[in-house]
Amino acid sequence: MPILVIEDEPKIGDYLQRGLTESGFAVRLARNGRDGLAMATDGEIELIVLDVMLPRMDGWQVLEALRGRPETEQIPVLFLTARDDVQDRVRGLELGADDYLVKPFAFVELVARIRTLLRRGPPREEDLIRVGDMEIDVIRRRVRRGGNEIVLTAQEFGLLHLLARRQGQVLSRSIIASHVWDMNFDSDTNVIDAAVRRLRRKVDDPFGQKLIHTRRGMGYVCEAQPVAAA
Amino acid sequence: MKAEGLSNLRHSLALRITVMFVTLVALAAAGLGTYLYRAFVAEIERRDDIQLLGKLRQVQILLGRPGAAELLRKRPDFFRDTMSGQENSLVRFVAPDGRVLADINAMGERYPVPPSAGATPGRSAIASWTSRGGEPGRVVAGSAKLESGPLTVIVARVYGERSAMFARYRQRIAAAAGVSALAAALLAALLLRRGLRPLRTIASHAALVRPGTLAQRLDLETAPSELRPLVDALNGMLARLQDGYARLSGFSADLAHEFRTPITNLLGQSQVMLAQPRTVAEYEQLIASNVEELERLARMIESMLFLARAGQADVVLARQPLRALDELEKMAGFYEGMAEEHGLRLACTGSGSVLADPALLRRALANLLSNAVRHAAEGSTITLRAEQHGAATELSVTNAGPAIPPEHLAHLFERFYRADPARRDAAGSTGLGLSIVRAIMDLHGGMAQVRSEAGQTRFSLVFPAA
Repeated sequence: MPILVIEDEPKIGDYLQRGLTESGFAVRLARNGRDGLAMATDGEIELIVLDVMLPRMDGWQVLEALRGRPETEQIPVLFLTARDDVQDRVRGLELGADDYLVKPFAFVELVARIRTLLRRGPPREEDLIRVGDMEIDVIRRRVRRGGNEIVLTAQEFGLLHLLARRQGQVLSRSIIASHVWDMNFDSDTNVIDAAVRRLRRKVDDPFGQKLIHTRRGMGYVCEAQPVAAA
Repeated sequence: MKAEGLSNLRHSLALRITVMFVTLVALAAAGLGTYLYRAFVAEIERRDDIQLLGKLRQVQILLGRPGAAELLRKRPDFFRDTMSGQENSLVRFVAPDGRVLADINAMGERYPVPPSAGATPGRSAIASWTSRGGEPGRVVAGSAKLESGPLTVIVARVYGERSAMFARYRQRIAAAAGVSALAAALLAALLLRRGLRPLRTIASHAALVRPGTLAQRLDLETAPSELRPLVDALNGMLARLQDGYARLSGFSADLAHEFRTPITNLLGQSQVMLAQPRTVAEYEQLIASNVEELERLARMIESMLFLARAGQADVVLARQPLRALDELEKMAGFYEGMAEEHGLRLACTGSGSVLADPALLRRALANLLSNAVRHAAEGSTITLRAEQHGAATELSVTNAGPAIPPEHLAHLFERFYRADPARRDAAGSTGLGLSIVRAIMDLHGGMAQVRSEAGQTRFSLVFPAA
């Protein structure tokens, strides 16, 4: 089922459509609130990305209308706002939005939020994760690669676990900082880069096939067969 | 109407003072008038009483003369004539057995007869009565000796024209009090207008203050001494505004300047790349580089918004008690990799607890640690320390490295201040890190401090009592 993007700013609308399509989502794009509401009502929509500042009918009105109709009230809504004040966010969440992002946001952050909203129920935590020839035993907190045990510190294990759990997904530095270290602010990006380099020295450097990849300008991804950068 | 009048009274200083002044003058005039009237009345009454006693004495002397008894029996009118012909003088002679020998009483007044006060009565023996016309009267009785034996003489008077005079006098006093109150009101209003002129001068000067003229001050010399504290306070306010305004405009200038560098990079490298066909790898390189610059801009905007919001009064902190050492160790864990790459060690010591918003505390500590890692001498140890000073808790980050020159220390927490202008990390520093630290400490009612000497630089966060 497609994702509906309601966004009036042409460049943002275009790149959201393109980026989300390339991330594997079917995307429909509405350029104003009224069209968006119509498309949400008559189409089978799985999730709505809603800009708050829209011409004719603003995001809040669209959100209220969506929540007032039985056929649309269950659709998860992620709203985008340029005004980062608490009242704005609270208003959105009170009107029934499920999540929000403040502009400017990292694209990988948006993809991660959409994936989280689309996941039905809490993700099943796997006890054993495999990436290529690497095995991560989550219960015993042990990592083996090609029959060799790799000794990691608690922080390193936490970082590897996050990357492996979401393998194939690009994780931004702020997602990594937030999940592994509970640092919920735009921290010094060098910190994450250094931590990833340290992990690579143990996990990747001694082996032929690399599992942790840098996506320049976006973040890091863990996967066995790196695709050519898109 | 009434409510409006009341609010006027509350709000107009001149009106308030005028009303008070007029009330005062009216009260004083009425008081003085009453006093003078009373004194006048008492004096007139005393004079009249003495006259009455004089009449009595006259009659007594007359009666003491030889042949008076004969005269009394044959010509009682003779006695009336001796009363200076005053129609309202009443005289009665009473024999010891109560028989009225003579009664001079043309109007037929009925007056009480006081007991005889002997040969020489004083004022206390005089009694008051009221005539049939409602006018006040006085009466006195004394003894006299006729050749034929003792006799009681009663002299009385009605003071008709006297009460009319008192009434006129009362009216005049009331009129004088009213006129003086009115004059006081006019005078007060006039004087207040003149007296409050310095206030209007100050107001008109203050009205001329514009963002561009903040350097001007109100004239302290010409202000009356009562208004000097106000002028002083206004000038102080102007000075603070000028300072804040100068900092704000300096800040906007800095901001524009700081934005210029990444935008120049973005614009320049993009235009150069677009000038000729390039390989895909080169385009990728460009876009990635652009993303880095843009991320820096985004971080800068986020920091600016954070500072702008921290300056507002209504920020709500999610304060909770935290174990200080736990927080330091968490931070050290976060920075472990980066420290290792710089050949640095991180050490945490101390104890105690701190009441703080955890997200903000971590943000402040992270900014201090980023700084410390960037400036620490290679191979040294960065110490994170928690200390309890009485009720306050101090969290500090100490690194070894060249001391910061003292002239920079005072400015380190200012926005975009860099001790070394040439030094500017490509990705890390926005120049706002330490000002964010200070803003976070201000929000907590604490302090951010720095000390740098003998190859040791120590930044500390002092939190007030938990």
